[in-house]
Amino acid sequence: MMRTADRLRRRVPVRLQTRLGDAFGTWTTDPDLPLRQHAYQSPLRDERLAAWLGATLGILFTTCFVTGLYSHLHQHPQSWLPLPARPAGLFRFTQGLHVACGIASLPVLLAKLWVVWPRFVSFPPGRRIADAIERLGVLALVTGGIFQVFSGIANIAQWYPWHFSFTAAHYWTAWITIGAVIAHVGAKAPITARAVRRRKHRPALADADPVLGTTAEGVHDGLDRRGFLVSVAAASGVLTLVTVGQTLPGLRRLALLAPRDPADRPVNRSARNAGVIAATTSPDYRLRIEGRVSTPLTFTLAQLQALPAHTADLPVACVEGWSYSARWTGVRLTDLVAMAGAPADAEVRVESLEEHSPYRTSFLNRFQAHDRDTLLATHLDGRPLSDDHGYPLRLIAPGRPGVNQTKWVTKVVVL
Amino acid sequence: MTAHRRGPAFWIGAALGWALILFGLRGVLQHSLDTRPSQLARFWIAGALTHDLLLAPLTLALGVTLARAVPGRWRATLQRTLIICAPLALFAYPEVRGYAHILRNPTSLPHNYTANLVLVLAAVAGLSAAVALISARRRPSTVSGRSPTGRGRGGRLRLWSRPRRAGGRARRPR
Repeated sequence: MMRTADRLRRRVPVRLQTRLGDAFGTWTTDPDLPLRQHAYQSPLRDERLAAWLGATLGILFTTCFVTGLYSHLHQHPQSWLPLPARPAGLFRFTQGLHVACGIASLPVLLAKLWVVWPRFVSFPPGRRIADAIERLGVLALVTGGIFQVFSGIANIAQWYPWHFSFTAAHYWTAWITIGAVIAHVGAKAPITARAVRRRKHRPALADADPVLGTTAEGVHDGLDRRGFLVSVAAASGVLTLVTVGQTLPGLRRLALLAPRDPADRPVNRSARNAGVIAATTSPDYRLRIEGRVSTPLTFTLAQLQALPAHTADLPVACVEGWSYSARWTGVRLTDLVAMAGAPADAEVRVESLEEHSPYRTSFLNRFQAHDRDTLLATHLDGRPLSDDHGYPLRLIAPGRPGVNQTKWVTKVVVL
Repeated sequence: MTAHRRGPAFWIGAALGWALILFGLRGVLQHSLDTRPSQLARFWIAGALTHDLLLAPLTLALGVTLARAVPGRWRATLQRTLIICAPLALFAYPEVRGYAHILRNPTSLPHNYTANLVLVLAAVAGLSAAVALISARRRPSTVSGRSPTGRGRGGRLRLWSRPRRAGGRARRPR
């Protein structure tokens, strides 16, 4: 073997050997150093920036995950975890927070990727098993994080350049992303703790991280580390300021880039798109109460309007982050099912005239179905419902996502 | 990636994190009718590649160009403005393009987003310039052509210079 190697070495010209050696040195590095690390000594790429941005992103992503999980539980109810109907504005708050944190994370994610970019191109990816595990986790974090922010923003702008279900893809990728966040926190916890410590307790940056930290404490033109962090925070702040008015009425006038205006009383699906106008305006329209009842009932719209009406101030909170409060008038759902002889703690399924939609039915657990403010509404803000708002009858209940406030209701099934 | 010895936090985080990652992957595959795994995987990869091969190099090229073209004293102001404006423009892209209009929902995208984006970007640029002017007035005057710190040379490219340490030479990466 040695002889063969020696023979080969003798045959290859020295100059070529040198060039090959240089190329190898250029394109491969110690796994602890990025590719051609000299080229990446920007003053804005250092350990402390990476730590602060990473911690911020971790908080934003975790908030998105927890609030998203709450939304998922509303849309996919679990019998072992009946969600409470109160407080009535809880879902409005959690989903507004979910979308606001998702939007605010865009500049933070881009800044974080910018600061750690040299890490991505280090080669070989790792020489130890732990390196490979960490690199794979980072790959999951980067792909998952970018996808979640991109797909979330595209969804609130109702832009769907894909053929998969947004909710399913966003939900399952969220598990991947939060898993990668946890793995990354485990890997970076000592570094982050050291980096965010007060100045007198932390080592010199160049000692702490020779790759990212050699120039960060030097003097440079342009933004320093604090200026960069302040600018990223300002970017998140401005983005929040120009969008959050879609759920915070006090900031509505500043919501120049919000995809919806709450003053318009927006809807997610129009009657025309749902294909229900003919059925809702038909004189044959009826509401049926059936299922686990002693007396199945059928009502015409006139009969429903003759029943005792109740009024409730409740929010409509869309999963896309916009919301508004309105005054709803209609018949209490609990009164209707009691008239049909349903048990006092019965769960209920409400069905729409809409035929082809994953949201044509919605489930109400015992708390939601028997809440005093859960109505089958006929009026919005004192006026009869418009077609787009669910004429002739829509469900409105406290603390639920807008997609579960079923419009164009035609059947109530007691379960 | 990091040179330090892996502690228990790394292995606990890896075990828990990878359990959740695998749970997510299993969910993607189990609900394949909804998630369309092959297309979803293309979007995952495309997102990362778009950042690594397009967005990051473009940002780098833009930074180099601006560093050559803009005097040092204005560089921080310009960086600040671009850092705030770029995400705004990215966020507003689907609104400006008006993709939602295909759904014929009259309550979707109710504003003129091109005009609003221009307005917001102009406000950010104006505010950023005002802050720079005010802070320049407050700062003591500097030598012409030099950065306020007195070390940087305005208008010249110094993208990856080494820090000057108290002891003299900068420490090289180990």
